[in-house]
Amino acid sequence: MNTFASSSSDPIVAQNLVRYFGDVKAVDGINITVKTGEIFGFLGPNGAGKSTAVRMLTTLLRPTSGTATVAGFDVAKHPDEVRRRIGVALQDAAIDPLMTGTELLRLQAVLYGIPQAQMKNRASELLERVGLTAAADRRVGTYSGGMRRRLDLALALIHQPTVLFLDEPTTGLDPMSRMSLWEEVRRLNNEGTTVMLTTQYLEEADQLADRIAIIDAGKIVREGKPQDLKAGVGFPTLLITVPSDQTERAKAVLATFGDMRPTAEGSLGVGLRGGANVVTDVVRKLDEASVRVQHLEINEPSLDDVFAEATGHRLEGAKA
Amino acid sequence: MTVATAALAIETTARSRQLSIRQTIAMAKRSTYEIARQPALIAPSMFFPIFFAVLSSSSFSRTTSIPGFPKVESFMQFTLASTIVQGVLFGSVTGAAALATDIEIGFFDRLLLAPTTRTGILLGRLAGSALFGFFQSAFFLAVLVPFHAPITAGIPGALVMVLSGGIVSLAIGAIMSSVAIRTGSAEAVQGAFPLLFVLLFFSSAFFPRETMSGAYKRIADINPISYLVEGLRALVLEGFTFSAVVRSLLVPTLICLAAILFALKELRRKLAAL
Repeated sequence: MNTFASSSSDPIVAQNLVRYFGDVKAVDGINITVKTGEIFGFLGPNGAGKSTAVRMLTTLLRPTSGTATVAGFDVAKHPDEVRRRIGVALQDAAIDPLMTGTELLRLQAVLYGIPQAQMKNRASELLERVGLTAAADRRVGTYSGGMRRRLDLALALIHQPTVLFLDEPTTGLDPMSRMSLWEEVRRLNNEGTTVMLTTQYLEEADQLADRIAIIDAGKIVREGKPQDLKAGVGFPTLLITVPSDQTERAKAVLATFGDMRPTAEGSLGVGLRGGANVVTDVVRKLDEASVRVQHLEINEPSLDDVFAEATGHRLEGAKA
Repeated sequence: MTVATAALAIETTARSRQLSIRQTIAMAKRSTYEIARQPALIAPSMFFPIFFAVLSSSSFSRTTSIPGFPKVESFMQFTLASTIVQGVLFGSVTGAAALATDIEIGFFDRLLLAPTTRTGILLGRLAGSALFGFFQSAFFLAVLVPFHAPITAGIPGALVMVLSGGIVSLAIGAIMSSVAIRTGSAEAVQGAFPLLFVLLFFSSAFFPRETMSGAYKRIADINPISYLVEGLRALVLEGFTFSAVVRSLLVPTLICLAAILFALKELRRKLAAL
């Protein structure tokens, strides 16, 4: 487990970072500080501004305004110094399908100025680390999605970066591949690499991140340790499903037990002020109001609740 | 600045230049692998020009007696130069389309994320096109020369033709790479190809300008492809003369330099807009 001492040379610091695309404000004045040795999760739905923020921090995009330093260097003023110190695995694992894993690692080694003598060993080490030794001389076009992601991670590590950016590293992966990538990220972090991870998966952020920032419509709406954020939501959420013609009556009953919470379409949610103990009272009151409950569940506060509380809507199709 | 810091600065610059060259070579190698590993993509640029040369030789063999037509052993001998230009036109589009694909799939971003020479990204890609151009030119000569298409300039002339073919490939590759950088779309690059083909037909590739008249001749007179073909043709028909060597190398080199400068400008514009 890492401890995060506050330091004047935090590996990632963004201040009032703004990026416009034409008239669209994709990132709207975000402030982030990532501490040394931390896994920092950047959570938000598609189009929230996560990738744009990461592209600015990794020197691929210039900020419209604001400043950012990564590994101690200003991303706009000293981009090459930043590039030498960071590893980046971008969304979609952009890998040339015509090359083999070994060839790509060697190309990457040359791009980062690794001497010829060390190149071969470094490539072999990394292939072994990500479990691709057997597939090393196969063209990447024949790799599965999980293998591509692992190769992408190996490519990002070729120059032993101190800061690693992972942009939605598990999107589209099956559960096994996802778990295996999580393991690798944890291992890297335990070895001292600071990781910034963007994800739209609540579970991923919850499992991996020491701290998270929730971004929506270009703004950071919550930031903190996952457990603190969840505790901040307070009460558990009671979710019920009722026939559509009884929705209004059900809402009126639920509102007497706490604040209504955003839910997926077709169900109603309330933050139970009295906790799980009052569920039977809720059911009784609903019955008295002639509301037929088709489905009922009670959930402890999740990152989805944090997101919903902060933004007024839930992350699509995701549950912590 | 002390002597020691000046020496360190010189050493750092030299190291960084050495690294840039190493990076450019690595990217050129990748570009060559890519071309070699897509036989289905390069086969048309190897065989279609041969097919066209054979077809036009049998169809237009009697045109060699038209007044104004240079003295040739066969139409195949006349069309040898245009076959090379036609082939490298086809081939260099492949490299530019691959650059556009790099942009489309995000591999270009991977290159930009590394502390690499930005110029090297483009030059490495173009070097692959040039190598393929050399190979294509040598292939066309090896296949067609035995069919009544001797090169009057002999083996030195053939070598200059191969060199010139590579430079033409570099030039066209740079022009098409500008399209790739500007649009970031492999489809747009492929879509621009017919324009090159139209330019080829409105040039002296298939008939000498002396036999043309009217608008067709006026277009051929200002069409740079006419001069690319005629430079190479001079080696085939005139021999290894100073004028033929200069014409076969100078025109493609000038076009090549202008095209590379333009492509680099496009790259700088794209990077500045990020």
